[in-house]
Amino acid sequence: MTKIKKYFPFTRAGIMESVTYRANFLFFLLGEIMKCFVMFFVWKAVFDSSSQETLYGFSYDNMVVYLFISFLSGYITYSDGSYAIGKEILDGSVVMRMIKPIDFDMCFLFQELGNKIISFCLIFLPITAGVEIYRFVINGRLMLDIPMLLLFLLSMVLAYGINFYFNLSYGFLAFFLKNLWGTDIIKGAVVDFLSGATIPLAFMGGFGYVLQFLPFASLSYTPVMIYMGLYSPWQIAFYMSLQVIWLVIFALISKLVLKLAMKRLVVHGG
Amino acid sequence: MRKYLRLHRIFVAQDLKKLMEYKVDFLMGAIGFVLVQAVKILTLGIIFSAIPALVYKVNGEVLDAWTFNEVLFIYGFSLIPKGVDHLLFDNLWGMGYWVVAKGDFDKYLTRPVNSWFYVLTEKFCVDAFGDLFVGIVLVAYSVFSMPAEIAADINWLRLIPVAFVLPFAIMIYTSIKTGTAAISFWTKRSGHITHMCYMTNEFASYPAKIYNNVVKTIITYILPFALTAYYPAIYILRGESPWSLAVTVGVSVALFLLSQLIWKLGIRAYESAGS
Amino acid sequence: MENSMIHVENLHKHFKKAIKEPGLKGSIKALFKPDYSVVKAVDGIDFDVQAGEMIGFIGPNGAGKSTVIKMLTGILTPSEGFCRINGHIPTQSRKEYVKEIGVVFGQRTQLWWDLALRETYMVLKEIYDIPQEDYEKRMAFLNEVLDLEDFISSPVRTLSLGQRMRADIAAALLHNPKVLFLDEPTVGLDVVVKDNIRKAIKRINEESGTTVILTTHDLEDIELLCNRIVMIDKGKKVFDGELSTLRERYGQMRELSFELNRAEDLEKLTYQEKFNFAEDDFSVKAEGTGVKVRFNTEIASVENMLSFTLSKVHVKDISVKDADIEEIIRRLYKGGGEAK
Repeated sequence: MTKIKKYFPFTRAGIMESVTYRANFLFFLLGEIMKCFVMFFVWKAVFDSSSQETLYGFSYDNMVVYLFISFLSGYITYSDGSYAIGKEILDGSVVMRMIKPIDFDMCFLFQELGNKIISFCLIFLPITAGVEIYRFVINGRLMLDIPMLLLFLLSMVLAYGINFYFNLSYGFLAFFLKNLWGTDIIKGAVVDFLSGATIPLAFMGGFGYVLQFLPFASLSYTPVMIYMGLYSPWQIAFYMSLQVIWLVIFALISKLVLKLAMKRLVVHGG
Repeated sequence: MRKYLRLHRIFVAQDLKKLMEYKVDFLMGAIGFVLVQAVKILTLGIIFSAIPALVYKVNGEVLDAWTFNEVLFIYGFSLIPKGVDHLLFDNLWGMGYWVVAKGDFDKYLTRPVNSWFYVLTEKFCVDAFGDLFVGIVLVAYSVFSMPAEIAADINWLRLIPVAFVLPFAIMIYTSIKTGTAAISFWTKRSGHITHMCYMTNEFASYPAKIYNNVVKTIITYILPFALTAYYPAIYILRGESPWSLAVTVGVSVALFLLSQLIWKLGIRAYESAGS
Repeated sequence: MENSMIHVENLHKHFKKAIKEPGLKGSIKALFKPDYSVVKAVDGIDFDVQAGEMIGFIGPNGAGKSTVIKMLTGILTPSEGFCRINGHIPTQSRKEYVKEIGVVFGQRTQLWWDLALRETYMVLKEIYDIPQEDYEKRMAFLNEVLDLEDFISSPVRTLSLGQRMRADIAAALLHNPKVLFLDEPTVGLDVVVKDNIRKAIKRINEESGTTVILTTHDLEDIELLCNRIVMIDKGKKVFDGELSTLRERYGQMRELSFELNRAEDLEKLTYQEKFNFAEDDFSVKAEGTGVKVRFNTEIASVENMLSFTLSKVHVKDISVKDADIEEIIRRLYKGGGEAK
């Protein structure tokens, strides 16, 4: 416990940082959520254009829920440690972290948790409330399922963990890549697509089926499908175990990459 | 004006030189931008594989419809004014994110040139070639692969008025960035406000009719990105709503004047930084 | 004074500042109910500068120096009052006005980080519409005074601090301005570079007749360059006059230094008992057998101090020195507005 306690100040700093820049955060959020509203209308036209009620098992209402919940989970599980760490590595200030008697991935994790607490407070309630009201109006009854909501939250925590270690590993690659900005954009585009954040994996046929087993699906698709109640209990159990496996794998990979990177740093003479 | 062009040339040369120096960075950035667009187009492709055409229905009655090619054309066209603004006037982003907050705007005020022009000329953003490239390729591809009966509606003479309106369309982007960046003169930082308004351009990539009236009004008159993409594009394709070209010019000029006013007032309120 | 180069009248600048209480609680409170207070950074300042003058503009940190300079250069708009430089009100005819001034901020460069220095000057040539012939002449002169030749082809980001400062000064002078504002031009530089820069400024003032306004924390800059100083504190002017006047008026401090035979003898020198100095009027610094005594001549004359010292102890090498400008200014800063 005391071991973890020493990272609490980082969380506190993260919270204060988020509070200070809350206006910026909200404007940024409003800008980002615009994409959901664009797709809201596009999907409406798409379903209007189709002769069937559902496409690949999704009704229009499912699609709306999918859009906003995947935005929500994408936002909350997003981790930008890769960029922060990469920048510190490139400009050399990472040395300042290494000479302190703390694990530096833990510093990032706890600081980001501080940010996450605030962004969770600011966006979780409005978005889920909005989605639930929408579902209530459409179906005429409350669709919110508390156990599913809890499983969704747990699955989001796992997704955040995977995201954190995935990005950490990527950030450590800055030791070798030297370029972050461009590769970061590439990474973002690829992950968005493969994780089902832009369009449900179900729409991609056999390819989408394969994607469900890859770590990308664990980042976004799994929690959203759980929230929507589109997974059976067996599927939930299976895909959440898969999340745990990916979490462990990426935690190990990040340790390995860090080790390799450290060697490299020493060779360069710090 | 010629003075600004000569100045601009020096900075363009400089940014191109830098591009050659950091080839890999540029390449990665450009690939990134192309990929972001590729993912969106792939998504569109997947969507369209499930439906014959995108329709606009009211009370079950089909009022309008767009084929995949037409949607691609509109989408590609939207990237062109956006890309040109990005290429030439990207420096405005920095204003709201850090220039004013750090007091770096001082240097623009101690020179005998218009501060706004000066900010604009200082940067030439080569990353924008990614957007422009995708836009032009999409427009070309959608036209060439178009079914003959749709292509028959295109009258290439319509390109003449559109070419005339294009600078005004670009100016819509630039004015929105200018006006929101100038808010930072009062609030120190306004980059996120710019971001929020700028993101509205996402609406411009699709046929404007599919939106409800609130959204349609916003994207036609308030943050009029539809005037930069959907309206001119559908005019080229079908000769629809030629009035929109006049609106583009009018709204663009009004926005430009408004953004200049905010800028002028902002400079008076500018507080620099520290002491 | 109608025909002075710079005329400043009743100049004020007020800022609104958000007050934030420290800590998490403070941040959360600021979220809902931000508090503001008005800071009077510049609170009614008047002065005049004649053409060709070189004045030192000094004051402690946060006194409002930079704010005044920023109003004079047209960056900030005064809240009240006005300044007129060579017939221009800076914020009214900004583009016309700034052609007549050059500005150097020591803390931050106005050059373009990625451009080679030579290209920077090409950009400035365009910005200021300098004819080719004038440009060449001016470059030759600046090159001679500031010695730019060695690094003129290097990008600005690769220059050392001293080189960068020389480059910045040249950039501010390229269009041959009537007034040059230098905000801490020697900050962070080593002694040799400082010396070169001072010489260059002096030469430019003499040869081009440029009026120079210099703010600095390095009082050596002032002593070597300026005949006149304007001092402000807490947004108000506390002194305006020649350096020698300052010295006469506030220079009652002297420094007596001598060497004792034995360090223990210091105890016998009971100045405090004898003359009854106030705390600010007197100090002793001893290092081994070397002793330095600073004292106010209004309390004890030099003669009295000397004879008292010699009557108590045996000394070698006794000498009396004028207090340096730093001492005077230190006392003035401490005294604040009352010194007027």
